[in-house]
Amino acid sequence: MYLVIVGAGKVGIPLASSLINEGHEVYVIDHSEEAVNEVQRELGMVATVGDATQPSALKEAGLSRADVLIATTNSDEVNLATCQLAKLQFKVPRTIAVAHTPENAALFDLAGIDLVVSATDLVLANLTTALPTHPLIRLMPLADRSVELIAIKIPAAGTVVGNKLTDTRLPYGTKIILLINTDGHTKSLDNDSVIEAEDEIIALSSTNSTAELWEILTELR
Amino acid sequence: MNVIILGAGHVGSTLAQKLSDIGHRVTVIEKDPHAVSLIPRNRVDSGSIIFIHKDGSKASSMVDAGIVDADAFIATTGNDSLNGLTAQRAKIVFGVEKVITAVKGEGSRVLHESLGITTINKSNLASDQLVTHLSELG
Repeated sequence: MYLVIVGAGKVGIPLASSLINEGHEVYVIDHSEEAVNEVQRELGMVATVGDATQPSALKEAGLSRADVLIATTNSDEVNLATCQLAKLQFKVPRTIAVAHTPENAALFDLAGIDLVVSATDLVLANLTTALPTHPLIRLMPLADRSVELIAIKIPAAGTVVGNKLTDTRLPYGTKIILLINTDGHTKSLDNDSVIEAEDEIIALSSTNSTAELWEILTELR
Repeated sequence: MNVIILGAGHVGSTLAQKLSDIGHRVTVIEKDPHAVSLIPRNRVDSGSIIFIHKDGSKASSMVDAGIVDADAFIATTGNDSLNGLTAQRAKIVFGVEKVITAVKGEGSRVLHESLGITTINKSNLASDQLVTHLSELG
């Protein structure tokens, strides 16, 4: 595949490096000469200085034959504009953008970017995994963010502890996928599955009712 | 009409005054408090032009400026891409009927137009005015 990466920063350089190692053809555009020099030192002549919000710079990078454009700069507005230029003017089949704030991630989705990587959500998800006291982790938005994959940790003193899964009233649209106990073993999901203290529940939840689901599963006695 | 202008540079401030002159309700979002000095103090004190000193790239600043009831949103910062992002937020997220961006680059103009945004070209504006002035000289 031919992939064009915009932004030779903390995300762009390692990304380019791993894609090249996988055997892909990669080209990197960055407005800073210094950043481009660094890419060239590490990866060879696969980078150029240019303003990726200008069609001329994208044309020079051969964007018309690119399979994917990935915008990884620190500036959300640049990432959006570049992806939209790639899609509308260069007919790139797949555009991927990093969004640094969650509200921009939502906007990018609406604006037609094929895949939006929300930097804040990723960091938060990782941080909250590391914090045992935080029982709700949003793992992945699905279906235009109307549904999400979540993990909820059952508090030791939760009212649902000891209940059968089938007897627990959950919000409409909730689908429990996995129950993981404290040693990391998954439990089989059947009519007799019982929720135990500190179990981790992985579920598909309608985004609107995740808060309600969380309240039910973490309510304390 | 309720008009929200992002950016109080030369284009934004001039536009704010002109729109307020002809009776529109104008709110200007500008994060730099010094930038608003281009607009006469009495306009701001009398409340005929409202200022929101916030970062206009955030949705919450647009809400504070009354984007929900706005009829038009005009992005006039010096950053074409930021103008494009905020204009799309106004249009797609808040459903503002008329969105306009001031752009410098031809690439941005074409992109914004293809997204259904009206554009005004900053350098064209300046040169048009110059031509008008020169032709007045005879």
